[in-house]
Amino acid sequence: MRSLGAGWSRLVERHPVPVFTAPSVVAVALLMAFPVAYTLYMSVHSWFASSLTSPQFVGLGNFRRAFVEDDRFRNALWLTVYFTGLATALQLVLGVSLALVLNRPFRGKGIVRSIFLLPMVATPVAIALVWMMMYNPTLGVMNYLVGLVGLGPYKWVSNASAVVPALALVDTWEWTPLITLITLAGLATLPIEPYESALIDGASSAQMFWRITLPLLRPTIIVALLFRAIDCLKTFDIIYVMTQGGPGFASETLNVYTFQVGLFYFHIGYASSLLVILFALVLGVSLLLIKVRRGAW
Amino acid sequence: MISVSTGQRDRVNPWTYVLLVALLIPFLFPLGWMFLSSLKTQVQNTAFPPVWVFVPTLSNYREVFQKNPFFTFTLNSLVVAVGSTGLALCLGLPGAYAIARFKRTGIALGILTARMAPGIGYLIPWFILFTKAKMIDTYTALILTHLIVALPLVLWVMIGFFEDVPGDLIESARIDGCTHWAAFLRVAIPLAKPGIVATGILAFIFSWNNFLFSLIVAGFKTRTLPIAVYSFLSYEEINWGGLTAAATVITLPVLLLALIVQKHIVRGLTLGALKG
Amino acid sequence: MRMIHRMGIVAMALALALASPALAQPQFNWQQAKGSQLRVLLNKHPWQAAIEPHLKEFEALTGIKLVAEVYPEDQFRAKVLVELTANASSIDVFMSMPAQEGLKYMRAGWLQPVDEFLKSPALTAPDYRWNDFLEKTRDAMVIEGKIVGPPIQVENTSLMYRKDVFQKYNVKVPTTLDELEAAAKALNGKAMTDDGQPGFGIVARGKRAAATSQFAAYLHAMGSTWLAPNREPMFNNEDGVKALELYGRLLRQYGPPGSENNHWYEASSIFSQGKAAMYTDANSLFPVVEDAQKSKVVGKVGYALFPRGPKGQYGSTVAAWGLAMPKTSQNQKAAWLFMQWATAKEQVLAVQSEKGVLGARESVWKDPKGMAKVPADLRESLTVGSKVGTPLWNPPVVAVAECRDAIGAAIVVSIQGGDVKAASNKAAADVKRIMAETEKK
Repeated sequence: MRSLGAGWSRLVERHPVPVFTAPSVVAVALLMAFPVAYTLYMSVHSWFASSLTSPQFVGLGNFRRAFVEDDRFRNALWLTVYFTGLATALQLVLGVSLALVLNRPFRGKGIVRSIFLLPMVATPVAIALVWMMMYNPTLGVMNYLVGLVGLGPYKWVSNASAVVPALALVDTWEWTPLITLITLAGLATLPIEPYESALIDGASSAQMFWRITLPLLRPTIIVALLFRAIDCLKTFDIIYVMTQGGPGFASETLNVYTFQVGLFYFHIGYASSLLVILFALVLGVSLLLIKVRRGAW
Repeated sequence: MISVSTGQRDRVNPWTYVLLVALLIPFLFPLGWMFLSSLKTQVQNTAFPPVWVFVPTLSNYREVFQKNPFFTFTLNSLVVAVGSTGLALCLGLPGAYAIARFKRTGIALGILTARMAPGIGYLIPWFILFTKAKMIDTYTALILTHLIVALPLVLWVMIGFFEDVPGDLIESARIDGCTHWAAFLRVAIPLAKPGIVATGILAFIFSWNNFLFSLIVAGFKTRTLPIAVYSFLSYEEINWGGLTAAATVITLPVLLLALIVQKHIVRGLTLGALKG
Repeated sequence: MRMIHRMGIVAMALALALASPALAQPQFNWQQAKGSQLRVLLNKHPWQAAIEPHLKEFEALTGIKLVAEVYPEDQFRAKVLVELTANASSIDVFMSMPAQEGLKYMRAGWLQPVDEFLKSPALTAPDYRWNDFLEKTRDAMVIEGKIVGPPIQVENTSLMYRKDVFQKYNVKVPTTLDELEAAAKALNGKAMTDDGQPGFGIVARGKRAAATSQFAAYLHAMGSTWLAPNREPMFNNEDGVKALELYGRLLRQYGPPGSENNHWYEASSIFSQGKAAMYTDANSLFPVVEDAQKSKVVGKVGYALFPRGPKGQYGSTVAAWGLAMPKTSQNQKAAWLFMQWATAKEQVLAVQSEKGVLGARESVWKDPKGMAKVPADLRESLTVGSKVGTPLWNPPVVAVAECRDAIGAAIVVSIQGGDVKAASNKAAADVKRIMAETEKK
């Protein structure tokens, strides 16, 4: 018994990394193995779900169909990029600005931070339903509020050209606080010396911001952007609950389209290929952002 | 406006508070509206212009609790959230420590891909798997599926916290003859406790809010709270009062939790980004 | 002496009277599947809400244990699909609309038809009477010649209108599509809410696939239909395009803004708040409209047959919810007993008289108790509509959901004022392609 225990300890001592990381890696691998294998297998097959017919091998046929023949796919791809770009840009600008504004002395920082947390932790499904209520063109309170300042009424998510911005607004409401909090933390760790020297050199606030603050904050902001971009590309809950991809197909991002194709149209093979494409997109954007963060400025 | 002066106590500009209030209102409004609507009748909720002053009623809450086994939902959500969080911490903490200490970011990136995969892709395969293993409608199945979100989260955030732990403290422990495991357990963990708390709470919140997986993997006995909210969109109508009451009931626990431990959560969220 | 004699006669008469019902009927063995357990999946629906309190009666009668799971519609459909696709389902009975998924499920080998159960005297009580169900509802439950299950609820696309508003402005209740448009135009913008605010002439669904089922009424009233006898799409012919233009025009010019995102939830809400003079949708929504706690137009609503087209065609559609049995069920006998019990006259009468669920049995419609909760004009328009209407509220294809989305897209274009003819042709081309892909035999 002791030799076994001793053997194990030696193993841990010599190879701590594999032993320590094994539980996580194995767990993730186990959970993902079958789904990944299933999805990859199905993506090169065509299967209209049925107990009587089996999947038929089609090679890259699904992928060719998506990119060459399926305009609803291309629409979904564009909308995914549009939504993600718009939402992340808004959150970035708003979030960083808010952080700069909040980075001044006042009492009750804790309370403010708490309030900022709330949109992020509230249950997305519940939030989506509340926003849907607020956006209702005839009965909703949003039109009432914008009416008070003489704007609107708008159709919000009921209008094909307004729906993506309206959805991006909801996502922005929910996640800007994350960017703000991250930026605030980053601001708190900024070194003092560059600013002192800049002041001595007679730099203005604006110059200090653009030349010192922003470059120093960039790595931090990029990581925040990375997480948000991954999540936005995959956004499902709010879009599905609020518009199901409508009006028409004006808000049907890739994730929503895939859900329809798989779970409502029963095209399991095609849906699987769409999932592979979506994953490739997310991976691609992530790698790009990671490279940007590590790259020279 | 970067405050350059150090150590000195600046005079707080009163206008700051005005600005703060102005900024915070948009973020609070939808939550406040949700709560207000839960106290109105259906007729009041569908009135336009919206009703601001009204006699509140608790009938929606009564309806929510009477018509739905909310206690069961809450219990299910609780069991699954605590289970997946606990499991994620047990599995993820050692891994995060090793990655931080030995700088193996490759593995971290590998785990991140789990986060990148679209959730829908898991639905049918997991359903097939769990059905064959006769695990549908069990807590175990749900806890395992929530792990796919919790584990990468634990890893990424805790890597940052473990990197914060001063290397020399670990070194001196090692010099004193501690094994890796002992150093981890007796030095790193206690020092990273705030981070562990933050991470645990975050994992709990994300599990609590999870909708997609519970939709398919949960059966009738293990239904979680987000499903309950969605069920207010029924054949009869959109019951706005009932819906917002259910939404309030569901978000209230996480909101309170977040408020109580906000300092830890903020550190957790931001550190994950700073060190990542 | 004489009193005892008389009492004796009375006693005998009484005994005979009590005994005769038992004597009159042959016994049907409700307990033949005693001890089994059924897993029943129900959609959150007025019928489900009405039958749930009675479920323990079934358990007592048959000795079968019932586990009923209820989910809201979207989740319900996804769950049934995932379970059937994984080929590992333990579902015994589920609520189904054959016109929505029946053909697909049948061709995928997922359904157990019930013809044999229905024909067997050992398995079906003699007083069940299949022919008591309204004709078109029976038709709606037949897929490729086989009966999927019994119908539990029937509804038509009908015209719901504000009697008070029509009276106030002296407008005739429309019986034709032209009159419908004229009435919408005349009443649009007129004061019609409780506090004298103006409202819309008409409200209806516009949300892509959801609108398709209601648009079906307009399509058929105009004289067109989904597919020609040779199964080529024909809804983009001249009449079909006219119907599409009408639908879009009505909502664009006389309906609420954002109609293209309205499901029945929103549309019925607008109507119940008194903000529209007319509403074309399923008449099974009447409990929503007549809910004293939530609606402002209780008692003011008239229910009329859907207007006829220029050539006199009826537009009324007949949609039926029913019960279906998966082929993988291990308790088929017990499952059939449940399906039978749930749609027996007694239960149909109960759900109809208690909650106003629109059942499918003619005898129940003739029973005064069955009529109690349903407004008289609704009852009339329903029984007529279920006789003259068409069960084709969906195109009769395998890939219904996909085709509904394709057609729904054209409806949205029409509401938004785009090129209707082009959109209609595109939808027809899409439907043709979808059918080719999914209906290879």
